Formats: sequence, structure tokens, C-alpha cells
Amino acid sequence: MSYIEVNNLVKDYKINVKKRGILGSMQSLLIPEYKMIRAVDDISFSIKKGEMVGFIGPNGAGKSTTVKMLTGILMPTSGNIITGGLSPHSDRKKNAARIGAVFGQRTQLWWDLPAEDTFDLLRYVYKMPEKKFKANMETFNELLGLNEFISKPVRQLSLGQRMRADIAASLIHDPEIVFFDEPTIGLDVVAKQKVRDFVRHMNKEKNITMLFTTHDMGDIEKTCDRMLIIDKGKIIYDGTPDDIKKKYAKYRTLIIDFVEKQSGIEIPGVEVCEDKGNKVQFRFIKDEVSAQELISSLTKKYEISDFTLQEADIENVIREIYEGGIKCDENLCGVC
Amino acid sequence: MDKQKMFTIPELTKLFFVHTKLIAKTTLEYKFHRSLISVAIFCREMISIVTMYLIMIRFVSIKGWDMNEMLFLYSFLFISYSLFVFVFAGIRDFDAMVQSGELDRFLLRPLGLIYQVIASRADFSATLGHGAVGVILLIKTAGSVGIEWNLRNTLAYIAVILGGTVIQASLFMVSSCFSFWTVNTTNLRNLVFFNARRFAAYPLSFYPGVIRYLLIFLLPFAFVNYFPSLYFLNKPEVSILGGWIPYLTPVVGAVLFFLVYTFWKFGLKHYSSVGN
Ligand SMILES: Nc1ncnc2c1ncn2[C@@H]1O[C@H](COP(=O)(O)OP(=O)(O)O)[C@@H](O)[C@H]1O
Ligand SMILES: [Mg+2]
Repeated sequence: MSYIEVNNLVKDYKINVKKRGILGSMQSLLIPEYKMIRAVDDISFSIKKGEMVGFIGPNGAGKSTTVKMLTGILMPTSGNIITGGLSPHSDRKKNAARIGAVFGQRTQLWWDLPAEDTFDLLRYVYKMPEKKFKANMETFNELLGLNEFISKPVRQLSLGQRMRADIAASLIHDPEIVFFDEPTIGLDVVAKQKVRDFVRHMNKEKNITMLFTTHDMGDIEKTCDRMLIIDKGKIIYDGTPDDIKKKYAKYRTLIIDFVEKQSGIEIPGVEVCEDKGNKVQFRFIKDEVSAQELISSLTKKYEISDFTLQEADIENVIREIYEGGIKCDENLCGVC
Repeated sequence: MDKQKMFTIPELTKLFFVHTKLIAKTTLEYKFHRSLISVAIFCREMISIVTMYLIMIRFVSIKGWDMNEMLFLYSFLFISYSLFVFVFAGIRDFDAMVQSGELDRFLLRPLGLIYQVIASRADFSATLGHGAVGVILLIKTAGSVGIEWNLRNTLAYIAVILGGTVIQASLFMVSSCFSFWTVNTTNLRNLVFFNARRFAAYPLSFYPGVIRYLLIFLLPFAFVNYFPSLYFLNKPEVSILGGWIPYLTPVVGAVLFFLVYTFWKFGLKHYSSVGN
């Protein structure tokens, strides 16, 4: 049973082409010239209730535009969206009561006032009974440590604190679906981790359906069971983060700490990609070279104090997909 | 669930004042700055009144209007504008809301868009600045122009002020419609609005036909102050409609607002948000 259903969704933006100079601006005032940009190009997918889906793609891929259509802010150029039986744009108000949305680059908090004032306003906006409101605030305080900074004007908060408050504000009314648009953008490692943990927790505990937009692969790997990759307005991958790794991560890296400094080690099929004396990195294609044999042949010849085996970095895989180095094949990608 | 989610009028009123409270708190964060703006507005407007006074003082009356009557006519503009920037500042600042993405946020809430636009702004500085000028003019003239402040006239007066506020809000809203196509008409709007208002400071009968028609049919400031003043001042021109004249103002306001609102909703269909 799918909860969010998207079919052949398209969004075109009409852009006013501005000309340079006085004559040019006169001309564009009198005879405006337009250019169409297809930001979202015929995408389809469906999301089940309680699912947590990552939506990843480079800047300008069409992520925010998709989220704006899913939340009812924008009307699709064509195609249709059903979220929980409603059309987000034509049933906007009804739909809005059940969804939450976090936009990492914007805030919904009143900038000059303490965050608690915005929360108070939201209580009325969502018509929450006082008891429920208090209970939710209590939970968010426990999980996000809101009380440390909730009485300070928002403009004085750190980005991480502001984001925590913003996330709480978007979840205060117990939404059934929550959309995150780059919630970790600009955050440091610790703050990022807090956001990821919280999002994961809410998804598991309250069975909230979530769509998580990012261009940071770390976000997806740590939080989502399923990912969609979007590029140039098209979905080029729909599956688990693991599958993409298995299929496309050809390389493995073995890092060995030798007891003594070694140099000039040569093994067929294995490339030395970093040599720092005692610590050497070997890179090899996992289907051609067995890690176990490599390790045992090295331990026979040299004295080894420690080693680590690294799977290919999914970040690199994604980058290669964007750059066209990897072509998705039919059986892995739902829509190519 | 749907029934429960519908907002009743008392709930919307309550929420409106929750907004107002937060706006007041924000304004108090910048007490000094906002007070200065109030004082600046007050001084600017008083200068325009003194100018008018100095021009008029040489005459006993022009075309049957004496000084106090002229100032009474002028007072409507200030009082209704003061109410306008208190209630409808969001319509005035609409273009900025689109630019900052605030509009996107409103679209994510289970409330009407126009309601949120109106509720989320109030310009206390301008309300005080213009309001003080209006009240001073009214107090100075209300007793001396021969109006009997009985219940009937008081109700008529309130209707005129409310109607005048809505008329001005509708004029501002025309320009906000263009924001949906990311066309910024704020400067053009200010040019047109404030010049029309300058004309409206004097009785309509002073002007040639074109300007009269403009101020009646296109930018209906005539209903904000001129026609109501004819009634309150018992001018000979009132004979035809007599006692109903003040109530034309809210009617014109309602019709105008409805027309502009229709255009506004049409614009909203074309809204394409703002990029990051
Ligand atoms: N409001 C807008 N008006 C015109 N073009 C836009 C607007 N928003 C986004 N775009 C364009 O649409 C494309 C997709 O943008 P966006 O959805 O913001 O991508 P992402 O969120 O993946 O970075 C980009 O080329 C962007 O310039
Ligand atoms: Mg984006």
C-alpha cells in the first residue's frame, strides 16, 4: 500500500531573460522574453507508510522543486501526486495539517524572538490541545536539548541549535509525513549526527513517513533504507544504499601497518595508492583479487601490526554516476 | 477530524492577536529605532499640513471650504491609513514576503493565505505616526465644523474609516498580485498611490474633470474622504443620497476588495516560488 504516489511529475519554470544595458532593460520591459527550464522531468515513484526515503542529487538537480510540489507549495506543470489520499496542491489546507517540512536554508522561527514564541504560535496554528503540546515539547526537549537555548532570540543561536529548533517546530503537530530539504546543510559533524539520530528515532518510534533531501551521502547511509538519486530532473536510481554499493563499488582498499618500514611492494592486480613508510594503502578490484589471499600472502612475507579493509566509498560511486562514468542498468534501477 | 480542523471566527481572532503580540514583542526589541521612525513620519506629515495651512490661510474659504473643513477632510486620510498599516501591513510588504520565501512557509500551514499575510505583519511605527496626525486633526476640527456627534453620525464615521481602510488595502493589493509573476511593482505602486493621496488632500471640486473621475472610479480616494466629508459637513452637494453617503465607502471597499481578491487568486495559480 503506497502512501505517497507520484506519477509522471513535471515542473517547468518560466524564466524572464533579462538583457543588459539600458536599451536591453527597456526592451525586456516592453517585450519580455521567456525561457523555459524543466526542473523536474517526468518522475514517478511511490513511498509506503512509515518508509524513510533519501533523495539525493547534486545542486540544481530538482530536489527542492520536487519537495515543493509534494508539500503543495507549487502546482505541477503536469503529472499527479497523491499523498495519503489528497492532492497536496488542490487540498492544500487539509493536507498541510498532516505534513511537516524543514527547509535547511530557511527558518520558520521568528528571527528576533525566542524560539518558544514561535512554538506558542504554532500551538494555535495547528489547534493543539495544551496537554498534547506540552507532552511533545517535553519529548523534543529530551531528544534535542531545546531548553538550553529556547529562551534566547533565534538570531543569537548557532546554526545547529537553530536547526534543532526548526526541526522540532516542524514536528510539533504530530505530522504523518515530514519532508526535509537539506536539513544538515552547513552543520558540523556533531550537529549533523544529532539531526540524523533524531530523524531516525522519530521515523522508528512514531512511524512517520519521511523524505530526506540532501547532497551529503553520509546522511542517506546513516538514516535511510531506500534512496532515490535525481540528476537533471530525472530519477536515475531507486533502491537501497547497499545495492548500489554492491553493484558499483568495484574497488576495495586494504590499509596495512607494517612493523618495519617497507618499500617497493609489488603484487599483480594490486595498486599501491598511498605509501607512508609503515602504513601502506593497497587498492584492488574486489572480484579479481581476494582480500583474504592478499592478507595471508602479505603476512607470510612481512611482519604486520594491524590492518583495515575498506569497502568503496559510496560517495565516489555517486559522483561517478553523476559524471556518467557508471550507467545504471535496468534490473537495478526502477526508472532509468 | 475535518470538522475539528476547521477554524472558527473566535479561533482566527485569537490567532490574529497571538500574531499581533509577537509583532509587538519584535517591535519592542528595537524600541529606539522604531520610535524614531514614528517621530519621523509624524514630522513629515505635519510639514505637509503646515504647508497646506500656509497656502490656505490667506483665504477665508475656497469654493465654500474653510480651513477647518479642509483639515477635517484631510484627517480621514491619516486615520484610515493608520488603521491600514496596522491591519494590512502584510499586503503592503507582500513582495518582500515572496522574496524571502515566507510565502512558501504560509503555504505549508492549514490556514488561508491572505489571512496569514495579513496577520503576520503590523507596522506599529507607521500606525502611531499617521494615527497621531489624524487624531490631532480630528480633535482640532471635530467640534468646530458643526457635526453633531450622536449615535447615527458616530456609526457612520466608523463605517467610513473601516471602508476607507479596505479601499486603500485593495489598492495596495493590486500591486501584490504582480509579485506572483515575480514582477516587482512596489515603486510604481508607491508613486501612484501617494500622488493620488496628495490630490485627495484637497476637495475634489477643486479639480478638473479628469482628476475627479480618476479619484472616483480608478483610485477611489473620493470615497475615503471627499464624499463622507460632504455628508458630515452638510455640504449642499449631498442632497441626492443624503444619509446613505457614508455607507457607500464600505460598499465600494467590499466590491473593490472582492475584485482584487479574484485577481489575486488567479495570480496564486501562477506562483512559482523562489529558488534558493
Ligand atoms: N523559483 C524558481 N524559478 C525559476 N527557476 C528555478 C526556481 N527554483 C529552482 N529553479 C531552477 O530549477 C532547477 C532545479 O532547482 P532545485 O529544485 O532548487 O534543485 P536542488 O534543490 O536539487 O538543488 C535549477 O536549475 C534551478 O535554477
Ligand atoms: Mg535545493
